[in-house]
Amino acid sequence: MTAPILAVLALLQFDTVPKPKPLLAVGEALLINLFVNRVDAWAFNQDWAHTGPKYWAKNLRLGWEWDEDAFPTNMFAHPYHGGLYFNAGRSNGLGYFESVPIAFMGSWTWEYLGETYRPSLNDWFMTSFGGITLGEMFHRVGATIRDNRARGFDRTWRELAALPIDPIGGFNRLIRGQWKATGPNPAEHDPGAYVLRVGGGIRFARRLAADTGFWSMGTVLVDLLYGDQVGQEYRAPFDVFSLRLLVTSQGINALRGSGRLYATNLNSPAGRNRHMLALNQRYDFIKNPSQSVGGQSVEIGINSRWLFGSKGFGIRTALFGDGIILGAIDAPGTGFGERHYDFGPGLGARWEVALEKHGVRFLRLFSQLEWIHAVSGASADHVVDFGGIEGALPITRRLGLAASSTIFGRVSNYTDGRPRDRREYPEARLLLVWTKAGFVPGQR
Amino acid sequence: MKRVLWLLALGLCCGSAAVAQEPAPTAPIPRPKRHRSGLWGELGSGPGYVRVACSDCTDVIGASGATSYLRIGGVISRNVVIGVEIFSLLDQTFGFASQDSNAVAETGTATITLLWYPGKSGLFFKGGVGAAFGEFSVPSDSTNVGTDTTSSGGGIGMTFGLGYDFPISRKFAITANAAAFVTALGDVVLPGHNVDDVIATVYQLSIGFTIR
Repeated sequence: MTAPILAVLALLQFDTVPKPKPLLAVGEALLINLFVNRVDAWAFNQDWAHTGPKYWAKNLRLGWEWDEDAFPTNMFAHPYHGGLYFNAGRSNGLGYFESVPIAFMGSWTWEYLGETYRPSLNDWFMTSFGGITLGEMFHRVGATIRDNRARGFDRTWRELAALPIDPIGGFNRLIRGQWKATGPNPAEHDPGAYVLRVGGGIRFARRLAADTGFWSMGTVLVDLLYGDQVGQEYRAPFDVFSLRLLVTSQGINALRGSGRLYATNLNSPAGRNRHMLALNQRYDFIKNPSQSVGGQSVEIGINSRWLFGSKGFGIRTALFGDGIILGAIDAPGTGFGERHYDFGPGLGARWEVALEKHGVRFLRLFSQLEWIHAVSGASADHVVDFGGIEGALPITRRLGLAASSTIFGRVSNYTDGRPRDRREYPEARLLLVWTKAGFVPGQR
Repeated sequence: MKRVLWLLALGLCCGSAAVAQEPAPTAPIPRPKRHRSGLWGELGSGPGYVRVACSDCTDVIGASGATSYLRIGGVISRNVVIGVEIFSLLDQTFGFASQDSNAVAETGTATITLLWYPGKSGLFFKGGVGAAFGEFSVPSDSTNVGTDTTSSGGGIGMTFGLGYDFPISRKFAITANAAAFVTALGDVVLPGHNVDDVIATVYQLSIGFTIR
C-alpha cells in the first residue's frame, strides 16, 4: 500500500519540470475563485461575495457591463489576480499559450459566478490580458529567484522571496516537496543576459496634486531587463522582457512591462549590428494624484543595436507601433458613476535611443504617443504623450547616480460639446542606483 | 483423390508460406489529410441573437438577426491557425424600446482570431480580439417617413467559441460554428436620448465553407 504512495510522492518531489497537467490547472484556477470568494464571504462578510444560483442566473441573463471600481483595483489588482490563474497553468507544466485559456476561464467564471454583481467586461479584459502579461513575467522572475541547486537557509529565503511574486507556483512547489528537493533548474531560471537596477532617491513633480506648485517625495525604482532584445535569438514567449516598478509614499506609482511574443532576425545574426522585428505584449499601470493611465497592448516594431569600438559600447534604438486592446485614463469629467476614468481601445507609437555598454544603458531618450477612444465613460478621445531623458553615471562598479527628466502630457477632446482639455506634468528624479548586469560573452 | 488432397494441402501450405515469406506489403501509410496548411479562407452565415446592455439600463434588450462572417488567414503550427475574422449581425426590427422597433441595428467586429485544434479531429476552439463597429438607424417619426437618424460607434470587439470542420475533399470543408462576439461600442445617440456605454453581445450559430 505504501509503495504507490511513495511512488507518487517521489514523482511529485523530483518532477522539477512537471508534465502538463491541464485538469489540475483548471481545478486550481477554480479553487482560487472558491478560496477568494469564501474568504470574502466568511472572513470579511462582503455582501457581494454571498452569491449563489439566483445571482448566477441573473448574471447569465443580463451579461456584461462596465464596473465602477477604483483605478488601482481594476488596473493592478485584477491583472495580479489574473496572474494567479495563468500561473496555475504555468506551474502545472503548461506552456505560455496553453496557459492563456486558463486565465480567460478563471476570470470568466469569477465574473459570472464569484460575485453578486453583474459580470464586468473591463474586469474580464484586464484580468485575462493583464494576468497573462504579469503572470508570465512573475513566473520567470520567480524561477530566477528560486534555485533548485541551493540548500539550507539560502534555499528557504529564495523560496520565500519568490512567494509574493508567484504565489501559485510557490504553493505548488511546497505541496510537491520542491522547496527542499534539489535538482536541475528550469530554463527560465537563467535569462542569459540581464540588467537589474534598483534605486532610491527623490522625485520632483509639478502639478502633481494641484494646478500649481512643486512636490517632492521619496521614491524607489526597480528596472529589470530579462534577456537581450537584440542579442538573443527568439526561443519562447517572454524569453525577453522589461519591467519597471516605481514606488513612492503614495504606493505603486508605476508598473510597466513589455515581453516579446515573437521575434525574428532582420539581418544576419553574425553581423556586428543587429536588427530584430519583435511582437510584444505590454502592460501599463501609472497612478499618481494627477495621472491615472494604463492598459493592455500589443506592439510590433524593430529593435536595433549598433556597436562601436571594441569595449562593448553601442547605440540601441527601438521603434514600435501598438494597438491598445483596452486602456483606461482619467481626465476632467471622465468616468461613470463612482468611477473617475474612461475605458477604451486605442493606438499608439513609441521610440527610444540609448547609449549602452554591454547592454547596460547609461543614457536614454524616449517618447511615446497613445490615443484612447473612450467606450465607457465620457464621450471623448484622449491623447497621451510621454517623453524624456534618463541618465546614469557610475561611481563604483555597481553604484551610480541616476537622473531623469520627463513630461507627461494629455489632451482630451470631448464630443459632447465640452471644451478641449490639455494638461502637462513635468517631473524629475535624482536617484542613487545599484546595478547588477550579466551579459553573454561573444553574444552579438 | 487422396493424392489430390495432399497436393492441395501442400499447395496451400507452400502458398501460405510463400505469402508469409513475402516482404511486408508496401501499401502507403495513411497520412492525415492536410486541411491545415498554407493560406485558408472561410465564409459563412447563420442565425444570431444579440443582447444589448448599457450603463443605467435596468434590463437588457434582446433581438435576433442574420449573421455572416469571413475568415482569412494562415497556419502557425499543426494545431493552431491564425486569421482575420470579419463578422456582422443585421437586425431590421431592432428596438432600444418598444416604440422604436423599426430601427435597424448592425454590429460587427474585425478581429485577429486564433483557431486551436486540440486533436486530430476537426474540433476547434476559437478566440480573438480586435475592433468593433455598431450602427443604429432609427426612423425620424412613427410613420417612418423622412430621413432616418443614424448613430454609429466604434470600440473593442472580442470573440470566442468552438466549431467543427467536416472535410469534403482535400481542399474544402464544411464548418459548423457556435460563437459569441462581444462588442463594446460606447455611447449611442438616439433621437431624444442617449444610450450610454453600449455592450452588444451576439451569439451565433453558423455554417461556413472553408477553403484550404
